[in-house]
Amino acid sequence: MIVEILAAGLVISACLAIFLDEAVYAVVALAGTFFLTSLLYAFSDALFVAIFQFAVGAGTLAVLFLSGEMLSEPPQKTSQKTLLSMIAIGVLLSLPAIFLSISTPTGLLSGISFGEALWDLRAVDVVLQGFVIMTVALGIAIVLHEKRKGEN
Amino acid sequence: MDYIILSLILMSIGIYGLLTKRDLLKVFISVELIATAATLNFVMLVPSLGKGLGEAFLILAFSTDTCVSGVILALLVIVHKKYGTSDIGDLVKMENTKEENEVEA
Repeated sequence: MIVEILAAGLVISACLAIFLDEAVYAVVALAGTFFLTSLLYAFSDALFVAIFQFAVGAGTLAVLFLSGEMLSEPPQKTSQKTLLSMIAIGVLLSLPAIFLSISTPTGLLSGISFGEALWDLRAVDVVLQGFVIMTVALGIAIVLHEKRKGEN
Repeated sequence: MDYIILSLILMSIGIYGLLTKRDLLKVFISVELIATAATLNFVMLVPSLGKGLGEAFLILAFSTDTCVSGVILALLVIVHKKYGTSDIGDLVKMENTKEENEVEA
């Protein structure tokens, strides 16, 4: 029952994070999303992931709060009716997750330990890191190209 | 309670925000929601992937997510500092006006 309530809260806070107009409130709703996700992991016996999610979320939110405060436009008041309708949409959206289910295969690669997975399947990691570095390099090249074009 | 459907719903909310919101901060929040949905999928598929493999993928997902967040936030601050707004529509308008002025000149 607790997990279902957490799931509903997660969807509601995600909806609020997207639909609330004021940046700081949206960031607070996102903080709720991170916190509830972390709790959901903890209740699913994934404590390592819960702590990781909490730490990453806390760091991201600290920066986001500053950016939100710095970059936000003058606040617009959200009416109570709109707020209630957002919560209702969140509750409605969370219902399929609570009542429906999809069967998933189990025991596909369950024999691999953490160390083996990290080192034996390094290729996946390396390929993905390659993609990330390539994207960053492309971004930098484009920025420098545009800057040079602007100077000429 | 099905985590895959929950993850799908979170991802749908994120994609909706990504497509409809014009503020860069909201776009960033949408990207974060999509990343959370992806992580949730990894965590809940651990029984089928094996605990070790699941954790290895998770570390990778978290690191990539943090890098993406850093880059997006840096871009957000630079754009706001340069143009004074973080609204995508305003930025496009400014760029169009700039190009028109250059053509006229």
